[in-house]
Amino acid sequence: MAFLARLGAPVRGFLAFLGDQAHLTLSTLRYALLLRMDQATVVGRQTRLQVRFTALDALWLVGGTALLLGAVTLIQAFSQLSGLGAENYIGVLMVLIILRELGPLLTAILVIGRSSTAIAAELGAMQLNGEVDALAAHGVNPYQYLLLPRWLGVLVAVFTLVVMFDAAALGGGFLVARLKYGVTFGFFMDSVRQTLSNRDFVATLLKVVVFSGAITFHACHFGLSIRRSQTEIPQAVTKTVVSALVAVFALDGLLAAIFYF
Amino acid sequence: MIEIHDLALDAPDARRLFAGLDLVVPRGGNQLVTGPSGSGKSRLLKVVAGTEQPARGRVSVGGVAVWPGSGAFALMGKVRVGFAFATGGLLSNLSLWDNVALPLRFSGVPAEALQGRVDGALERLGLAAVAGLRPHAVSASARKHGNLARVLAYDPDLILLDDPIEGLDRSDRDVALGLIQEWALDPAKTLLMAQEQPDPFAQLASGQLDLQALSVPLETP
Repeated sequence: MAFLARLGAPVRGFLAFLGDQAHLTLSTLRYALLLRMDQATVVGRQTRLQVRFTALDALWLVGGTALLLGAVTLIQAFSQLSGLGAENYIGVLMVLIILRELGPLLTAILVIGRSSTAIAAELGAMQLNGEVDALAAHGVNPYQYLLLPRWLGVLVAVFTLVVMFDAAALGGGFLVARLKYGVTFGFFMDSVRQTLSNRDFVATLLKVVVFSGAITFHACHFGLSIRRSQTEIPQAVTKTVVSALVAVFALDGLLAAIFYF
Repeated sequence: MIEIHDLALDAPDARRLFAGLDLVVPRGGNQLVTGPSGSGKSRLLKVVAGTEQPARGRVSVGGVAVWPGSGAFALMGKVRVGFAFATGGLLSNLSLWDNVALPLRFSGVPAEALQGRVDGALERLGLAAVAGLRPHAVSASARKHGNLARVLAYDPDLILLDDPIEGLDRSDRDVALGLIQEWALDPAKTLLMAQEQPDPFAQLASGQLDLQALSVPLETP
C-alpha cells in the first residue's frame, strides 16, 4: 500500500496543480466579466505597466535574436542545399522553421525568462508582505487587480513580440538571400506568401493565447503559493521557469499535432 | 456585526492556538482582543477579514457568512472592512497616496470626492509631506499611520486594528489614539482591536477577550 501511495503522490500532485491552474484561469475570467467601468480604469493602468515591461522593454532583445535566427537558418540551409536550387525553398524554410514553430516558441521562452520570473517573484514578495491580504480585506479583488492585468499584459506582449519576431526573422533571412543569391524583396516575399496558409495564422494566434495563459498562470500559481519566508521566492521562480517551459513545449506539440499531423 | 461560533485556529506549524471561541460583537461595538505574542490575535483578525481560513468554526460579518464560505470575496461589495495591519499591508509599488486611494478607486468613489478623502486622511495622520513616497522610503511609524489613513479614507463599517500604536513615538501615538477614540465613539463603526496589553484601549472597549485564557497548552514530551 505504501508503495502504491508513493507511486500515486506525484500523480495526485500533478492533478492538483492542473486543478489550481483551471481554478485561477476560470476565476480570473469570471471576475473579468464582473469588472465595473471605474475598476476597468485601474486594471487598464496595471495592464499598460505589464505590457511596457514584457513587450516594449524586450523589443530589442526579441528583434535582435530573431534577426540572427532568420539569417542563420538560411545560411545553414544554403550551405546544405547549394546546387539543389536552394533559392526555391526560401519560402518553405522560412515558414516551416521560423513562422510556424520557432517564432511563437522562442518568444514564449524569452517571455518566460524575462517576465514570468518577475511576476512570480513580485507576487511572492507581495504575499509575504501581506499586500495580497490587504487588497482582499479592503474590497480590492486580487483576481481583478493582480491576475487579470498580468494575463492581459502578457497576452498583448506575446502577440506583439511574435509579430516582431517573425518580421525580424524574415528580415534576417532576406538579408542572407539577397547577399548570397541576389534575391529581390518581391521574390522573397512571394515565396513566403505562397507557403503561408490561413491555418498558419490560426495556429499562431492560438499559440499566442495558450502560451500567454500558461506563462501567466504558472507564475501566479508559484508566486502566490509562497507563505512563510523570503527563501521561498527563488524556489518559486525556478519552479515557474521549469514548469512553464514544460507546459509551453507540451502545448506546442499538441497544437502542432492538431493542425499539421 | 461579527458572529463567531466554535472557532478553532491553528498556527503555521499546525499547533492548535485556541479552540471553542464564541464571540458576538454588535454593530457599533468595540471589542478588544488581548493576549501574549503568538496567541493568535492577528490570525483572529485575518479570519474575521476573510483572508485566513480557520481550522474549524463559523464566522459571519454583517450577516454575510465568511467561513465556511469564500472568505474576503464573500464580503466584497456587501460589507466595507478596513484593516490596519501590525506590519506590512501597504503595496510596495504604490505611493502612500495611491495606497490610500486604491480601495476608493475600486469601490467607485468619484475622482473629486476621492481626492478630498485621501488628502484629508493623509493630512490627519501627518503624512501629507511624504504622500508621494513609496512605503519603503518612509519610516516604520509613517507606514503604520499609512495603514490608519487608508482605513480613515475608506470609511468602513468594520475596522480591524492590529497593534495600531505599537512602536509609535509619543506624538504619533497621540494622533493614532485620537483617531481610534473617534471611531470608538461612532455608533456606525464596529471596532475589533488586537493588542498585547489592554491599555490604553480598555476604556474604549465595550467587550474584552483574553486569548490566553482560551489557549491550548503545549504538550511537553
